[in-house]
Parts: sequence; C-alpha cells; structure tokens
Amino acid sequence: MNQQEKLDILKNILLTDERQYAEEISKKIKILEETINKQNQLSQKVDPIIDHKLEEFIKEMPKTLGPTITEALKSEIENSKDAVVEALFPIIGKMIKRYVQHEMQLLSEKINSQVSNTFSFKSLKRKFKAKKTGVSEGELVIQEQIKPVIEQLMVINKGSGLIISEYTRTKNIDEDMVAGMLTAIKSFAEDAFDKKEIELQYIEYEGYHVHLQNFSSYYIAVVISGSYNVIFKDELEDKLLNFAQNVINKEDLDDTSKLSEKLKLYFENENI
Amino acid sequence: MKISKKVVLIGHFGVGKSSLIRRFVENTFSDDYKVTIGVHIFKKKVAITEEDKDISLVIWDLEGNDDIRDTRTSYLLGTHAYIYVFDVSRPATYMTIKDDIDYLKQHCNKTLIKIVGNKEDLLTKEQIKQLNKEIEPLVDFYTSAKTGNEVDELFSKLAMELI
Ligand SMILES: Nc1nc2c(ncn2[C@@H]2O[C@H](COP(=O)(O)OP(=O)(O)OP(=O)(O)O)[C@@H](O)[C@H]2O)c(=O)[nH]1
Ligand SMILES: [Mg+2]
Repeated sequence: MNQQEKLDILKNILLTDERQYAEEISKKIKILEETINKQNQLSQKVDPIIDHKLEEFIKEMPKTLGPTITEALKSEIENSKDAVVEALFPIIGKMIKRYVQHEMQLLSEKINSQVSNTFSFKSLKRKFKAKKTGVSEGELVIQEQIKPVIEQLMVINKGSGLIISEYTRTKNIDEDMVAGMLTAIKSFAEDAFDKKEIELQYIEYEGYHVHLQNFSSYYIAVVISGSYNVIFKDELEDKLLNFAQNVINKEDLDDTSKLSEKLKLYFENENI
Repeated sequence: MKISKKVVLIGHFGVGKSSLIRRFVENTFSDDYKVTIGVHIFKKKVAITEEDKDISLVIWDLEGNDDIRDTRTSYLLGTHAYIYVFDVSRPATYMTIKDDIDYLKQHCNKTLIKIVGNKEDLLTKEQIKQLNKEIEPLVDFYTSAKTGNEVDELFSKLAMELI
C-alpha cells in the first residue's frame, strides 16, 4: 500500500463517519421540529378547552367550594369566638354609631333648613348682634370654666369587676373598690331589667359623671368632672372605640402594666 | 405586677359575713346587726412574706338569703374564691350546706371554696367537736368575728392559696 492508498482509506473512514453523524443529527432535528410543531398544534387545540374549563371552574367555585369554605370559617369562628367578638365589637359599635350619627345629621340639617326658611333676615341680624354684645361670649366663658375633664379611666373585667388597667390624673380614690362597686351596680341595674341587651351606660356620683362603655369581656369606666354633655359624650365614645379597636389587643388584657402605659399615652393630654 | 383576686362571702342571713370582713379589714366588731342590702365591697392587701409578694383581696360581701339559688349570678362572675359562712349556733344556717356547696361547685368548679363556721364563741369546744362530726363536707375553719379567733388565719390561708 502506497502513501496514496493509505490516505484514501483513512479519508473513507473519516468521511463515512461524518456522513453518518450528520445524518443522525438531522434526524434528531427533525424529531425536535416535529415535537415542537405537534405541541403548537396541540396547544392550539387544547388551550381554548382549558381556558373554557378554567372560566367554568371560576364561575362554579363559589357554588362547589363555597359551602366547604363557609363551613370551615364557621367552625374556625366557633372555636375562637372570644377573639372574634373582641375584634368585632368596636368595629360594629362604630358602624352603628356612624349610621345613627348620619341619620341625626340629616334630621338636624332638615330642621335647620326649615328654621332658616322661617326666620326672617331681621331675626338673623339680631342673632349676630347678640353675639357681638358679648352675651354668648359670657356663655362661652362659663362653658370654659366647667369644661369636662377626665379624672380617671379604668378598664374593668366585666365579670369579676377587677381592674385590668387604669389611668388617674389625681390619685385619691381606691380604684379597686370603685371598680368592684361599679361592676356590682352595673350588674344589679342590668339584672333588674331582666334583659340581656340592656347595659348601664351612665352613673352620676357626687358631682362626678361616670361614663360606662361596654366591650365584650371588659368595660371602660371614665370618671369625669365638669360638664358632661352630648358633644363630649360623643367624642369620648369615639375615642374609646378607637382605643379599643386600634390600641388594645388580646395580650394587653393579660398584661396590666403594658396596657396602663398605653392608656397613659393615649389619654394623658386629653381634654377632648 | 399587681395581683388582685375577687373573694365572695356567701351564706344565710346574719351568720356574720359582714362581721368577719370588718374584723379582717378594720379589726373591729359590733353587736348591732346591720343587714347588708345588695353588696358591699372591701379591699385588703395581704403580704405573703414567704413569697415576697403582695396580694390585693377585693372582697364582695353579699346580702344573705334563705336560698343560695336566689343570689344574683352576675355577682358570682369571675370569682377566685368563695367563703361559705354558717352560724354554728343556728342549725338552719347549715342544714342545706351540702346542696349549697354543690351549687357553688356547679357554678364554677375550679373556684376555691372555704367553709367557715362562725360565732364559735357561742359554743364550747366540746360542742364544736360534736358539730364537726355531723357536718359534711368538711369545715375548714371555726371562727369568731367577735373575738377575732381564726379570722386572720382564714384570710391568710386563702391568700396563700390564691397566689
Ligand atoms: N357572738 C357572735 N356574734 C356575731 C359574730 N359574728 C357576727 N355576730 C353578730 O351576728 C349578727 C349578724 O352579723 P352580720 O355580720 O351582720 O351578718 P351577715 O352575714 O353579714 O348578715 P346579712 O348581711 O344580713 O346576710 C350581728 O349582730 C353580729 O354582731 C361572732 O363571731 N360571734
Ligand atoms: Mg352582711
């Protein structure tokens, strides 16, 4: 075998291999191409079906899963009733209050518009004059003098009447005994009406006004000196609802010192 | 942290509930009988030296009645301990003791209950011994609000168990 022959053989081997290799690769590419095309074709066919099914599923979900979810929620709420009530109490209270307020406002606007319709321009002028002569200013001064002041604020356990937490401006009464007494009076009054929904909201005691506001496991008693009027009561109610909703949490009801700190922060600079 | 506990005294008319409290809180006694109407509330701080702690007992003095079931249940809410008082000199005040205690247990079975025979100064030691055999369940203390016998012991024991 001469040099040329050797070279030919070698070439042959190499080239056949190359050819085979190339063929194999092109086969593989074809398979790949086919798969991709098939998938495309498949997805063209299947996608709308899936979309449709999905839509249907979303539509049907409330019907099919609804009862199960409701049931689960129900039992969850049942199991942690206290926590739910504790959380909802201030919110519901607020909603009812807002509604009543709104209705009252509508009513008063209605009345006002009627009044201003019937009053003449003259009487209005007189009103302004009266203001200028200082009559109502005097009234304002008196109002200023007897403006309501929060003397003491107690968060009290509804059942035992024990103080959970309190804040006092001036320490001159025994809060434990007052809280117990308030709770006893409250339960006496509420028992006397023999109706569960009735709750004592206000007590007057030796020139002090005691505002009572109920939450689920506790109530808040606020001792007020000065004049206690509807406007003040209203603002106080809102303030307490806010406090109960946003500031008090479940752990606070167990940890007295933490809640006292919060009470102090929230009401210290409070004249309302 | 401040510890406060609600203690309720309960029992028939005139057995000496208010007198026991007055003896414990103010260390006084009076022979006049002033009926309690509704409820009175007292407070006394008890130092538990062994534990280096203070405990405030907020004591509810309920009006007496013939039947414990007439008691306003709202007064009993959240009670940490009951002191059931009877008068050792008046059998009518301990005739129903078993039922009464059962009623209290039914109401709150985890609450501490102390059974107390008061006015022990009116009987001899021998008579008390005899009485103690007859009464069931077991009486925890025989006290006298008049002489002060066993009154502090009763409340201290209670405070200890409540802490
Ligand atoms: N000898 C004696 N008399 C007592 C004792 N304790 C109370 N008394 C008298 O018994 C009477 C009734 O006592 P109270 O303490 O008012 O009885 P109570 O259980 O509070 O009565 P109510 O409030 O009506 O249920 C009073 O006249 C007391 O002086 C006692 O230990 N010994
Ligand atoms: Mg009494």
